[in-house]
Amino acid sequence: MNRLNLLIGSACLLLISIFIPTIKMASTSYDFVFIVDITRSMNTQDYTDNNGGAISRLDKVKQDMISAIQTLPCGSRVGLGLFTERSSALLFSPIEVCSNYSILEDSIQHIDWRMAWVADSNIGRGLYNILKQLKKDFLLSSKLVFFTDGHESPPVNARYQADFADLTTEKLPASWRAGLIVGVGNKALSRIPKYDQDGHQTGFYQVDDVPHASSFGLPEDPSKIKGYIPRNGPWGTEKIVGTEHMSSLREEYLMNLAKAASLNYHRLTDKQLFSEALQTPAFTQSQQRDTSISWLPACLALLLLSYFYLIPIIGRITMLNKDN
Amino acid sequence: MGLYLNSPWYLLLLPLILLPFITTAFEKRPTAWTALIPLNSLSIWLQRLIRFLGCLAFLAIIIGLADLSIRYRTISKTGNGAHIVFVLDRSASMNETFGGRSPSKDEQSKAHAARGLLSRFVDKRPHDLFAVVGFSTQPFYTIPLTESKPAIQAAINSLDTQGLAFTNVAKGLAMGLSYFKDQAHTGSRVVILVSDGAATLDHRAQKTLRDWFERYQVSLYWFFLRTENGLSISSTPDSSTDDNPRVMPERYLDKFFTSLKIPYQSYEIDTSDSLQAAIEQVDKLENSPLQYQQKTPNYSLANYCYLLAFLALLLLILVKLFEAKHDD
Repeated sequence: MNRLNLLIGSACLLLISIFIPTIKMASTSYDFVFIVDITRSMNTQDYTDNNGGAISRLDKVKQDMISAIQTLPCGSRVGLGLFTERSSALLFSPIEVCSNYSILEDSIQHIDWRMAWVADSNIGRGLYNILKQLKKDFLLSSKLVFFTDGHESPPVNARYQADFADLTTEKLPASWRAGLIVGVGNKALSRIPKYDQDGHQTGFYQVDDVPHASSFGLPEDPSKIKGYIPRNGPWGTEKIVGTEHMSSLREEYLMNLAKAASLNYHRLTDKQLFSEALQTPAFTQSQQRDTSISWLPACLALLLLSYFYLIPIIGRITMLNKDN
Repeated sequence: MGLYLNSPWYLLLLPLILLPFITTAFEKRPTAWTALIPLNSLSIWLQRLIRFLGCLAFLAIIIGLADLSIRYRTISKTGNGAHIVFVLDRSASMNETFGGRSPSKDEQSKAHAARGLLSRFVDKRPHDLFAVVGFSTQPFYTIPLTESKPAIQAAINSLDTQGLAFTNVAKGLAMGLSYFKDQAHTGSRVVILVSDGAATLDHRAQKTLRDWFERYQVSLYWFFLRTENGLSISSTPDSSTDDNPRVMPERYLDKFFTSLKIPYQSYEIDTSDSLQAAIEQVDKLENSPLQYQQKTPNYSLANYCYLLAFLALLLLILVKLFEAKHDD
């Protein structure tokens, strides 16, 4: 090829690089609503930080949420909400993670157990209500990520649990997932710190501070209850003492809930593993993004230009070969 | 201003820029006797220039491929606007209609109406910084003062979800005011309280609020979403025994706000139209000069690199056109 033509070709390709329009390409992204349990048991300090100090479940959740957001691809969106009692307070619907990173970080840092508007918790009902909220127009495409330790107070009566089958009206494939339950805490019992109104720790919850058994509604099987009196003591007349003033991760309970509500379950340990649990195919959404392809003609231009300069060298080499 | 490369791995191609120095852009021509064409300084310089052009073309293409970009910057600009903190009532009664019922199919709840109008309000004020605080019995920190409109819209969306518990105005307002703690005083500072009820303020809360409103020089707008036939701000008590904050919290909250030495305006809103009117009025009032930060997006310089390479190649092409041709 004429060397002049190589130069002209290269120049033309550069012009193309400058003026080539962007094209729509599919890219993966995620859309999550993080709902954080902020009930008292989440103050239990059964995680360790990098320096070996004890940190609370809530602090661990906050740290790992922030690092998970850092690993999400741009274009992904994250919303935030709080859980206590049996409902959730959405703080904001999902926003794009790269352009709003500082806002997400700031809001997560400010999550505090004192934001709880009431103090009891019923996780099954709560989960049901949250999933119902996800049907709002601005949350429809979002997957739920629910951080909780599964510790309920007062203990719930299994007879009055939510039926998650109510929520799904249309047939969905078996692999469909509404989101993820993240189990937070250690399976061993730990003491729950007690704070005063201004956030100073005043000790730990004691045996007498909390109810140890459900006394709501009617019991499923009265014959199992000691001292059962139908009218005056449907939950028995004996004092029940348990370990409800201490807290541990109720993993089986959460796994069962997850199964009933078509959610994945993940136990929060390492932030890396948590990121992986989030970025699974079940939660992937494909998105059309403007992608620049100007690199393609530019590479070709570079190739032609290189060839232009290599011709004399190639010529010399072929000459040498001929001489041999 | 910071420059950075989006795809630095293209720099591995950099050794290519040496090519113009090892080889030549020209064809070898046999010459009868080299002494006939003596080296002169002009041709040496021309030779160097031509090699430099080739080198520049390589460099510019490679830097362009590596996607040289300018990192986003924040520029300070002056416009008209305000720092506006929305203090939003998230109590359960916000999910009812203005008539105090659960909304039926074609009715909308107070929260839904408020969401739509606040969202339009935010859209209409491009230079303002907004923040959002939610409250029921406890305040929740929602969004810090920000210019990101999508984030504010996302926080306003939260109004339209399940309501929670009761109304504790004092705590919500205190958190709203705390947003101004570390803010430079520029433009007007506004707290917009959107609630459908009031509550009694104890002495401690009253003192804190009075202090903070005056210290931070914040003006207050109260959008009171009144339930039909409910107590209004201007209701007068039937008898002196009813004239106390427990029976008429709205009247007393209004009295307290009026007693503050700050601009205060209350709007009673019992239909969506009156909310619209109130928002328009705030829109007119709050327009003092405001220093605001604008973020310029990341800006790729790749095209300029390609253009530079193109120009270098254009010169090379010209030179090549003037090259003495072989006499074949």
